[in-house]
Amino acid sequence: MRKRYFVGGGILAVAVGLLVYASLGSAVSYYLTVSELLDRGSELYGERVRVAGKVVDNSIEWDADTLKLDFVITEGGEDLLVVYEGARPSGLKEDSNVLVEGEYRSDNTFQASTIILKCPSKYEPQE
Amino acid sequence: MGTAEIGQGAIILAFLAALVSAVVAGIGARTGSRRFISITRISVISIAVLYSLALATAVFAFLTRDYSLKIVSEHVDSSLPAAYALSALYADKGGSVLLWGWLISLFSALIASRKHEYDNSILPCMLCVLAAIQLFFLAMVTFVVNVFEKNPAPVAEGVGLNPLLQNVAMLIHPPMLYLSFAAVSVVFAIVIAALITHTPGAQCVRWVRRWALFGWCTLGLGNLIGMWWSYNELGWGGYWAWDPVENAGLMPWLLITAFVHSISVQRQRNHLQRWSLVLAILTFEFTLLIPFITHGGIESPLHGFYGSHFPPYILAVILVTLAGSLGLLYMRRKDFQKDERSFTLISREGASEVTNIILVLLTAVILFGTVLPRVVELFGGTQIAIDRSFFDRVAGPIMLLLVFFMGVCPLLGWAKTSWQSVRSNFVFSLLATLLVVVIILIVGGGKWYLISAAVCSFPVFTILLEWFRRAKARHQDRKENYLRASLAMLNSNRPRYGGFLVHIGIILITLGIIASSFYSAENMVSLDVGQSMKVGEYDLAYDELILKGSQTKVSAVATVSMSRQGRHIGNLYPENNYWFSYMDTFAEVAVRTTPAEDVFVSLVWTSFDQQNKSVTIRAMINPLVVWIWVGGGLLLIGGVVAFSHQERRDSQYKDR
Repeated sequence: MRKRYFVGGGILAVAVGLLVYASLGSAVSYYLTVSELLDRGSELYGERVRVAGKVVDNSIEWDADTLKLDFVITEGGEDLLVVYEGARPSGLKEDSNVLVEGEYRSDNTFQASTIILKCPSKYEPQE
Repeated sequence: MGTAEIGQGAIILAFLAALVSAVVAGIGARTGSRRFISITRISVISIAVLYSLALATAVFAFLTRDYSLKIVSEHVDSSLPAAYALSALYADKGGSVLLWGWLISLFSALIASRKHEYDNSILPCMLCVLAAIQLFFLAMVTFVVNVFEKNPAPVAEGVGLNPLLQNVAMLIHPPMLYLSFAAVSVVFAIVIAALITHTPGAQCVRWVRRWALFGWCTLGLGNLIGMWWSYNELGWGGYWAWDPVENAGLMPWLLITAFVHSISVQRQRNHLQRWSLVLAILTFEFTLLIPFITHGGIESPLHGFYGSHFPPYILAVILVTLAGSLGLLYMRRKDFQKDERSFTLISREGASEVTNIILVLLTAVILFGTVLPRVVELFGGTQIAIDRSFFDRVAGPIMLLLVFFMGVCPLLGWAKTSWQSVRSNFVFSLLATLLVVVIILIVGGGKWYLISAAVCSFPVFTILLEWFRRAKARHQDRKENYLRASLAMLNSNRPRYGGFLVHIGIILITLGIIASSFYSAENMVSLDVGQSMKVGEYDLAYDELILKGSQTKVSAVATVSMSRQGRHIGNLYPENNYWFSYMDTFAEVAVRTTPAEDVFVSLVWTSFDQQNKSVTIRAMINPLVVWIWVGGGLLLIGGVVAFSHQERRDSQYKDR
């Protein structure tokens, strides 16, 4: 009776384990700061990464007609040009902290597929 | 004396009352003294009274905008409508814990005041566990997140409530979750008390069943309401992102779903297995994990627990209570030996056990994906992120497997099923399913429609067929018409038919998820007045933009006229609002819902300049989304039907 459970449960667990193993590889992305990304440079070309940095003053360029958005993020004294196609996220402002997810390209620009805003301090007062 | 003092005083008194309750209940449990049990009842009720006073004080402070309190000035401002001022309480992490703990105190008082429901052999022990849980919550609202903390200097105006939380769904979503967490605490208390006092499982099932169903139903609905909010408020066109906070709500729901199934089997077989007890304990621990998991998640500033300062000792409390509970279970292992009864795998018990294992595995996988980045960060130093594709790929197939089992279960009988007895039902359902598949092939749906039709229609047919067969038998026996027969049948076995309704609801939700995940269309363009865009089969013309100012915001309201194949079908009015207090814009989407598909329009960019009326519009066609919400309705109805069944004392429930 019990043995059958362990066998049945075991088979299910192995099946789910394989599913996890097969799905995990492509879903993991590294989480880097701008300086870490630039340090590793060319080895990350084409990789999916998440990069965190702060938007540089006067660097946001947004063309509403073509839906092209670029801006520079900075961290640790180094800058990275982020290129994005899509709507300008509300709340994207100079000096705001952002997290961009996408691909680091061989022309040393970052092609973002998602822009995640770290929320302004006003939402949750810093203590 | 100000509100802060009254509230804080009530909390401290409640803390003392909880301490007294725990001690007195402990003595009552050890000695069985009736006097101590009576004192326990009174002191447990007094915790609830004091807690209510504290909560009422906080609510009063919010409604009267008492900015001397930090919690008030940080979450509301003078222009906020009263209803949202109330919900601002649980936008705060301390307020959330306050509400959560208050509900536990109410449920405890409810138990203490029911004289004949629970036996005196187990009651003091249950109340002792509940008092201990309340001590933990009261300690949190006092020491970790002080709800009644005063502002050091006078504040003239509050910060206001995040506009995204100013939505009807947010009035209901958090209280629903806390209702369920509180019910889960009661389930945990009953289970622990039963283990300590060697109470036979059959009695336990009777006590635990309704609490578990209540917790299951409110948690499921709470999550669905959260999804509805995400879809209608956040403007990204989806309802589920596998965000850690969402996962934190889903995991205990999966576990409690497994628990509800496990006890429904045992209700019939009259025992409570170790497996169920483990599920009850795990569900409770997962509800406590929520503030910990969501701690510091950057993607989610919208939950009260965001970036909160819940220290790691919550994790320590979880691990200690988990180890303690499982240790107790191990010590009581001899109590369960006699319970084992045999059944074959091809039986309702067998199918139920398999479903249970799948639900637990699914929970484990989601937990793995949710905490892996944290674990890697802790031990390896590198930070990684897990994309939602991981969860989609793993959870999708498992979900389909579960739906398939919903179809198998009604076919099977208890203990053992012969092929003869299921053959006709099975064959009929299979043929009906094939017919649906053929129809879809002819009509020409995509491959995911085919797969989902194949997997989803099978259980629908087995459930309907079983229902019809029973109704027909009644119709022939008692000459009732079919509608009456169906209702009478539903009434005669509410847990079972309530479960059927829930299963149909889950299948509808699955259909909605599959269709909207694989067959949505999207388009985003910038338009000037008079221009139009295409999305799916629809043409959307941007007719005009009206700017309206108010005290709190400037609203830009666009008029978008929809037409399909040249025929005008209506207007949508998406908005983009600039909120002064946030110096930021928030979009309000407009959705046109039909049974077949939603037209979802979001105004993602406007200039807020009278001269420049160009806008950026994101439009989506999301098929079958409405069925997710309809399925949620069935979940509620089925849950209520099952809940309304009151187990009689010492009755042996028999189902065929």
